[in-house]
Amino acid sequence: MTETPTSSPPGTRWGLKAKVILSMLLVGVIPLVVGLGMAFWQGSQEIREVSGESFAALATEAARKLDLLLAEEIAHTARIANDPTIIRALEQRRDARDDSKKSTTALTDLEQRWRARDAAAIKSITDNPLSTLLHEYFTGVHSAPGQLLPHVVRSSTKMLFLTDAQGTLVGTMTDHPAFRHQNTQWWQGAFNKAVGKLYIEDVRFDDQVNAYVFSISLPVMDSLRYEVVGVLHRVIDAKEFFSPATHVTRFGKTGHVMLIDTNGIVVSCPILPTGVPLSDPKLIPLVTPQHPGWVQASSDGHGGQSTSVIGFAPLPETSRATNGSIKNGSWHTFVWQSSDELFAPIRHLFTWVTAFGAVAVVLLASLGYVAAGRIVTPVRQLQQAARSIGRGELRTPIQIHTGDELEDLAEEFNRMNQQLKAAFAGLTDQVKLKTQEVQVLQQSTDQILDAVPTPILLIDAHEVVRYINQAARESFKVQEPMSGASLFTILPLDQAVQKKLQAEFRTNGDTSSAAAEIERETVPRDPLVPCADHESAGHRAELHIGSRIYHYQWFRLPARPGEEDSIGLVLRDTTDESRLQDQLVQAEKTGSLGVLTAGIGHELNNPLFGIIGLGEAIQEEQDLEHIRTCARNIVAHGRRMATIIRDFTGVTNREAFDKQVPVFLEQILDQVLATAQTTVEMKDIGIHKTYAGQTPVLVFPDQLRQALVNLVTNAVQAMKGTGTLTLATAVSDHTATATIADSGPGISKPHLSKVFDPFFTTKGQGEGSGLGLTVARRIIRKFGGDLRIESVEGRGTTCIVTLPISSPMSPEGGPWTASASRSEPQPSHSS
Amino acid sequence: MDSFRVTFRAATVAFLLGGLWGGASLHAAKENPPIGSISPERVADYVHAVLEADRTIYTTHIVNRMQEKGIVAATEHWEQDNALPLPAQFLQHSGRLVAESGRGIRYRLIGFSPIYQRNAPATEFERKALEVLRRQPDRPITGVVSSGKKQYFQAIYADRAISSACVTCHNNHPLSPKQDFKLNDVMGGIAITIPLE
Repeated sequence: MTETPTSSPPGTRWGLKAKVILSMLLVGVIPLVVGLGMAFWQGSQEIREVSGESFAALATEAARKLDLLLAEEIAHTARIANDPTIIRALEQRRDARDDSKKSTTALTDLEQRWRARDAAAIKSITDNPLSTLLHEYFTGVHSAPGQLLPHVVRSSTKMLFLTDAQGTLVGTMTDHPAFRHQNTQWWQGAFNKAVGKLYIEDVRFDDQVNAYVFSISLPVMDSLRYEVVGVLHRVIDAKEFFSPATHVTRFGKTGHVMLIDTNGIVVSCPILPTGVPLSDPKLIPLVTPQHPGWVQASSDGHGGQSTSVIGFAPLPETSRATNGSIKNGSWHTFVWQSSDELFAPIRHLFTWVTAFGAVAVVLLASLGYVAAGRIVTPVRQLQQAARSIGRGELRTPIQIHTGDELEDLAEEFNRMNQQLKAAFAGLTDQVKLKTQEVQVLQQSTDQILDAVPTPILLIDAHEVVRYINQAARESFKVQEPMSGASLFTILPLDQAVQKKLQAEFRTNGDTSSAAAEIERETVPRDPLVPCADHESAGHRAELHIGSRIYHYQWFRLPARPGEEDSIGLVLRDTTDESRLQDQLVQAEKTGSLGVLTAGIGHELNNPLFGIIGLGEAIQEEQDLEHIRTCARNIVAHGRRMATIIRDFTGVTNREAFDKQVPVFLEQILDQVLATAQTTVEMKDIGIHKTYAGQTPVLVFPDQLRQALVNLVTNAVQAMKGTGTLTLATAVSDHTATATIADSGPGISKPHLSKVFDPFFTTKGQGEGSGLGLTVARRIIRKFGGDLRIESVEGRGTTCIVTLPISSPMSPEGGPWTASASRSEPQPSHSS
Repeated sequence: MDSFRVTFRAATVAFLLGGLWGGASLHAAKENPPIGSISPERVADYVHAVLEADRTIYTTHIVNRMQEKGIVAATEHWEQDNALPLPAQFLQHSGRLVAESGRGIRYRLIGFSPIYQRNAPATEFERKALEVLRRQPDRPITGVVSSGKKQYFQAIYADRAISSACVTCHNNHPLSPKQDFKLNDVMGGIAITIPLE
């Protein structure tokens, strides 16, 4: 198995192999641990149960055994108490005391001597017949051959003595006992109000015998068993008495039986000394109930704090007599074994199973390693293959022969690889084809763009030129590789124009102004208004680059998704066009002049021929009257010529003043009326004036006067000698309006639209130049105003002149202003 | 169960005190002879009747019923076993209570084959009386006995195995010398002792 490094560094994640090994280990270890734990727990539990039951049974058995031992001992003692000699002697003592109190003094005397340990007194008691009898019983003289006191019992008996019904010592084997006992508990318990009762005293330390002892007190009943006549008291060394019975019952190293009393004082134990209490007081109530059983306690009573299983049982018969009754005390057996020893087997088992478990884990790990290798190797192969497929480098098919799903997977991989290859092959061809198409398209586009004589530039959002076509390269002399050049490095423009272009560029090449310009171009130009375009020249989409003029136009170029739109700039060289147009205008002007000259010639010719004819007539005429008539006609013709000439000069004449001056509109109107009266017949014309006071306007007075004279003349001529001429002024916010209305025939609709066309006239040859209205409108517009003609056929025509009102006027002005002060304003009058 | 026991004991004491009233009155009569006299035979008879009745009620209405219903059994070591005293123990313990009361009258059970030797006949009189009673159980054996200078009237009544509890216990006890008792057998006697002073 080769350790090929995986794509990610080890440590950051778990590889498949580690996972397989780990999962196998977990699968093995978890049940092992759980099973082991449960087995240990269950085993411990069962050992506890079994041991507890055994201990309880053992305790019960031991209790019965000890009970019998004590019962036997009591029976032995009872035989002494039932001895007729003793009973008789005690009955006599009773009767003697009942008879008289004589012996009391002697008794007191004897007591004092006994206390003083007088040898004679001691001897008198220890050697009396009763004492002798006790001795004899003790040594077995009175026993049947099979009822000899065992040696142990004999040696353990430390005291054996007899008292009468008053508690006075009447016989003893040893000299230890006190003389009077009627106040001791055991005596009172055994005497029991002369009824008598067995009394077994709990273990206590006796100073006389220097040992822990317990005692058996038996009442000596009278011959009828009617009442107590004495008490037989036997003091027994507890350890000596019980150890043969308790010490033999040992099991294991620590298991043993012991005897305790209700207070937990040890009566006999192979380990603890007699007379000491159990180490744990809390244990005592647990082990001293009145029935056998076992308990799991937190201490062992022998100084250990480990959890212990303790069996216990009361001594049934003995407990009845302990301290007089079962309520005052009872004796119990106590069976215990060290828990270390008790649970040793399960611990051994646990250790062994743990050891086997460890072996199993190692086996699992190695098996897992092998198994994981078998799984992981083909998977790694597959991984490598997948990577190769991803790069399109897999040439040889994957070779995996595990005979399971992995082999199937490998086959699937191979199939997939082949299908992918096939699919890729088709795709590559298509891509090649499309790429060629795109290249062809791009080339043709480039060629088309290069073939276009108009310079075209493509600019991105950062004003960097992305493309520049052949025409532009030539026009702006750009070297072939232009990378990232700014638009303005290519187009040499001054600052103002650059700023304007940039502003347009930022509004994404808004071409509305350019479009408006183009639209305006379509309207026919007034050849006599040559500079009409000059005022808007600044807004035209034109660029002056070098000596050339370009009309430019922005267009938006949609970009590919995710990129910013490009903006295209199309420049059209209008240098030649402008020149051509200028020439055209000039030609038009020249043509107009020809018409004008012809018109002037024609106009002037008629009166001139008249004058010439009249002059020739005068040369040969003698009739003075006729001469005068001819002269008047000559004057009339002259006037007409003068009028014609003035008309023309009005067109061509430039204002003498180059400065506009404020004048009152009403004054101008009055002067115009006066002027008109000199040129046209107005005798039958009624004049109606409605003025709005003095309305100041800022104009060239001569020009305005000429314009208004034209209008008034037209009006008068239209009325053909009769009618009403209405002159009116009105003031609105910033505008002064002068209205000149006639009551003539009006203008027909088709003519109305042409009245401002130059040379359009309805008058006959020589009567009008056709320039009057044209000139008038041009003049008025120059002053920022306008001229409109409204006409209803048959009702008359109204000329409406609007002019901006000038600021409060300054009185100084031209000559007309001075003369205006002379003429009186006429609010309204008719003639 | 404890309360039951207390009740039971209280009832026992009440029965006995009631039964002993006769004895007490007899004692009083002796000190006050003018009221007339009553023979010790009669007194013993009274006492025996009360004893028999009490024990019968205890045996049939308490022990038997409790055992039948499985509530509590009568066992020898009833203190430890938290059980009822056996009927024989009932009589023995009540006899001790009577003795401890100091009235002078005493009674106890004696038998030819007792489980405990302390219950064997103590005197020749008792032994002979039991012999007679085994043959003629209907009549008590009476007589005056003495202990030293003290004289007592003693009446011994035959005592039968009145319940299966008596038979079972005696036949099964490890210390019992005779184990073939049958119901209604004469197992021993009740010895009633009255001091004559």
